[in-house]
Amino acid sequence: MEARIPAYVDALCQEIAWMGASGGKRMAVLTVFFGGGTPTLLSPDQVERILSTCRRNFSLMADAEISMEANPGTVSLESLRRLRTAGVNRLSYGMQSAHPADLRLLERIHDTFDVIRAVTWARQAGFDNLSLDLIFGLPFQSLERWRQTLETALGLHPEHLSLYALTVEHGTPFQAWARRGLVPLPDDDLAADMYDAASERLAQAGYFQYEISNWACERNGKILSCRHNLQYWRNLPYLGLGAGAHGYIAGHRTINVAAIPAYIERCRTMPADDAFPAGPATIQAQPIDRWTEIQETMMTGLRLTAEGVLADAFKARFGISLERVFGGEIDRLIQQGLLEWAGEPRALRLSLRGRLLGNAVFRQFVGSEKPADLGI
Amino acid sequence: MNTDHIRNFCIIAHIDHGKSTLADRLLQKTGTISDRDMVEQVLDSMDLEREKGVTIKASAVRMNYTAQDGGTYELNLIDTPGHVDFNYEVSRALEACEGAVLVVDATQGIEAQTLANLYLALESDLEIIPVINKIDLPSAQPDVVAEEVENLLGIPAEDIPRISAKEGINIDQVLESVVKRVPPPKGNDDAALRALIFDSHYDPYKGVVAYIRVVEGHLRNTDSLRLMATNADVRPVEIGIFAPSMRPVDLLNSGDVGYVATGLKTVSECRVGDTITLTAHQAAEPLPGYLHPKPMVFAGIYPVDGDAYPDLKEALEKLQLNDASLTYQPEKSQALNFGFRCGFLGLFHMEIIQERLEREYDLDIVVTAPSVEYQVFLLDGTQIVIDSPVQLPDEGTISEIREPWMGLDIFSPTEFFGTIMDLANKRRAVFKEQNHPAPSRVHLSFEIPLSELIVDFFDDLKSRTRGYASMDYHFAEYRPGNLVKLEVLVGGEVVDALAAIVHKEDAYHKGQRLVTKLKEIIPRQLFDVAVQASADGRVISRANVKALRKDVLAKCYGGDISRKKKLLEKQKKGKRRMKMVGNVEIPQEAFMAVLRLGDE
Repeated sequence: MEARIPAYVDALCQEIAWMGASGGKRMAVLTVFFGGGTPTLLSPDQVERILSTCRRNFSLMADAEISMEANPGTVSLESLRRLRTAGVNRLSYGMQSAHPADLRLLERIHDTFDVIRAVTWARQAGFDNLSLDLIFGLPFQSLERWRQTLETALGLHPEHLSLYALTVEHGTPFQAWARRGLVPLPDDDLAADMYDAASERLAQAGYFQYEISNWACERNGKILSCRHNLQYWRNLPYLGLGAGAHGYIAGHRTINVAAIPAYIERCRTMPADDAFPAGPATIQAQPIDRWTEIQETMMTGLRLTAEGVLADAFKARFGISLERVFGGEIDRLIQQGLLEWAGEPRALRLSLRGRLLGNAVFRQFVGSEKPADLGI
Repeated sequence: MNTDHIRNFCIIAHIDHGKSTLADRLLQKTGTISDRDMVEQVLDSMDLEREKGVTIKASAVRMNYTAQDGGTYELNLIDTPGHVDFNYEVSRALEACEGAVLVVDATQGIEAQTLANLYLALESDLEIIPVINKIDLPSAQPDVVAEEVENLLGIPAEDIPRISAKEGINIDQVLESVVKRVPPPKGNDDAALRALIFDSHYDPYKGVVAYIRVVEGHLRNTDSLRLMATNADVRPVEIGIFAPSMRPVDLLNSGDVGYVATGLKTVSECRVGDTITLTAHQAAEPLPGYLHPKPMVFAGIYPVDGDAYPDLKEALEKLQLNDASLTYQPEKSQALNFGFRCGFLGLFHMEIIQERLEREYDLDIVVTAPSVEYQVFLLDGTQIVIDSPVQLPDEGTISEIREPWMGLDIFSPTEFFGTIMDLANKRRAVFKEQNHPAPSRVHLSFEIPLSELIVDFFDDLKSRTRGYASMDYHFAEYRPGNLVKLEVLVGGEVVDALAAIVHKEDAYHKGQRLVTKLKEIIPRQLFDVAVQASADGRVISRANVKALRKDVLAKCYGGDISRKKKLLEKQKKGKRRMKMVGNVEIPQEAFMAVLRLGDE
């Protein structure tokens, strides 16, 4: 695996260069996100090289958010210093839990001391925007144990927290264990209690919830949300670069080939410029029609618990008002107490109760035929 | 015309005592069917019959037999349905005979249906020829069983043929007994025609084929015939005999058994028990005993997939062509949508129809809990008849509800006495008497509401007695009962498909069971859902399906969006298949689970 990294980085830089050159006028880049695996397997030099390739081929903004996901057990002070120097300015640690039993269940190699040390080093290396990922609703996890995890995390004063409810997905070892009766299935009511307890505690600690699973601190009057993820939730474009990456660019959802050798192989030859948005490693580029875009905008935008879907922005983007398209659905969901109109500028968003029942809301905005009479 | 050489007889037996095997052997022995063409159990032509080991439809066959006295005889074997649900059809088939071969299993002795069929045969004044079958089996006790039969019939044990139909042992003795002991048919060949219809089937080319026994007079294939009950005239497509397949003849004489292909389109126009006479020369009176068999057990039948409704309708139409006792009418349930309210002669009949729909017509169906027909007397003096709880009027208007009671006979080894009494007790049965046909066997008689009998009674009996007990039942009378309508409410709305008419004493625990089951099955909604059972205007059980608190994708990032949208769309599709009760979404499968579980 490690032996392939240099070739992989070469391929990635090839892809970046081709995308930068083929995407029309020089694209402005506001955020870069190293994620989807263990990017800390890259050496700081390799990160440096990737970022400078980005700078050469895109207009990478001076105040761009450059995030990296990191495993708290695999970082060192030295590597963190060099990442910071290379331009990475936001770190997201997969802390998951402060309890050894939870970590064992999740097959994590780190422990809480690793997390404390990794956070300390990050601060020493000059990172002032740190996020911690935590998981709740784990088998055998009590409300009390969850509170302890939360307190431990708060004690580390991260700028940002992501709290994810465990979802048992098809084809995961968890599902197999649960089916064989080795672990209890997560109890949704208990998970809901944990979520409520966390919401309350985080608000008290000065964190601001901006998405179903995400909280951030305020600094200089600005919420330190993950700007990169906001791009997804606002249903705005992004490039997906690297093996298995997904992108949403020029009205297409793109998927890159997932296997690393295949990715490296594909990036050896570049397609013609007019293939864009399909790049050298793209295996699928699905055009998104207007109606799908509208549905996806609702599905992702309503995840933003504070901002929601802005009425004016929607109108400006699609040339029709939210109420004209979804009046019936909106009224019904408001009546059910799951949605609310709020704020100035006016926005549609999940109610407090709706936050944990998001699917019941999102379902109303997807999977329906395009209304014929609206001229969408 | 001389009828001395004719013998009309049937074989009667308890299920699995070997009736069909004996019939096969008689056909072979008389050369009616060559050994090569012998399909096991020729008379049971439906797969289902062969599988269940019972005869559903009667059949008839003519055999020629040269007896030890040197004479050649025409033996008409009329096969009878083997189950009590078809009592009326059995009784008509018996009317077409002068004698009955009573087959008793040498390993089991007299069982409930042995006796039930025997009584029917005696009512028809038939000569009874008992035979003891299965003597080849190691566990056979022919002497013990012979004594049991002697006690019952007064026929000396040593005169009873002991045979093995399977091995072909002593089959001659059966044929000789039929020739010697069954009287030839009497009847005036010159009188006005009276022929009894004892069975019928639908043939796509010849229309309804009526199986007849000419009691008096004769008919030719050119005669115009009249069906006396319906007053319909038909010109037969052909007349004939069963030899064993249909063979046309020109003439059927008094005493003969044969068929008339009527060309009619449905068997309901040509009812079992009706009398055929000549249009030109009518008999003054029809033969006695014509009845229009009435369904006793009712249930809703619904397609699992609503699109299959037309297929279900067509299948029921086709089944009815051959089975005039099956009734159906359209019904709509809020939970199950469109289906049919069907009437059956009994539980067994219902089971057969259900299986034929599933197997022969490949339909996926739901059958609601069976109900009986209630007589409801209203305070204003009027009386109505209902066969579904939905039809029950408001309690305040009712003065009395009467339900059908049955006479129930159970035969069992004595060791199960206690558990049978316990079962009977639980099902509101009233004990009448007990007899001991043999030292180790007991015959228990009860009276029991039909409604108690139709819900898994037989299954329960079989499991309590490890399959050793047999039972039989017959209609007794309508009796007033302390009955209430049990309703189930979900979110305050009555769920029609789950209503039942129950005895007041059972209402509480039945209601509680339904509520518990529903609570498990109904998925959590966006709000609390109350599940209640009510009887007599009072809520007797309640439970709460707590509101759903968490249903959200924890993560949704760039790579996920298309996939997550598809997931949500799939969930939405699933929701569309839900049935709405008020504003509660209930998966159709949940109703089916409740209905299928029945009353375990």
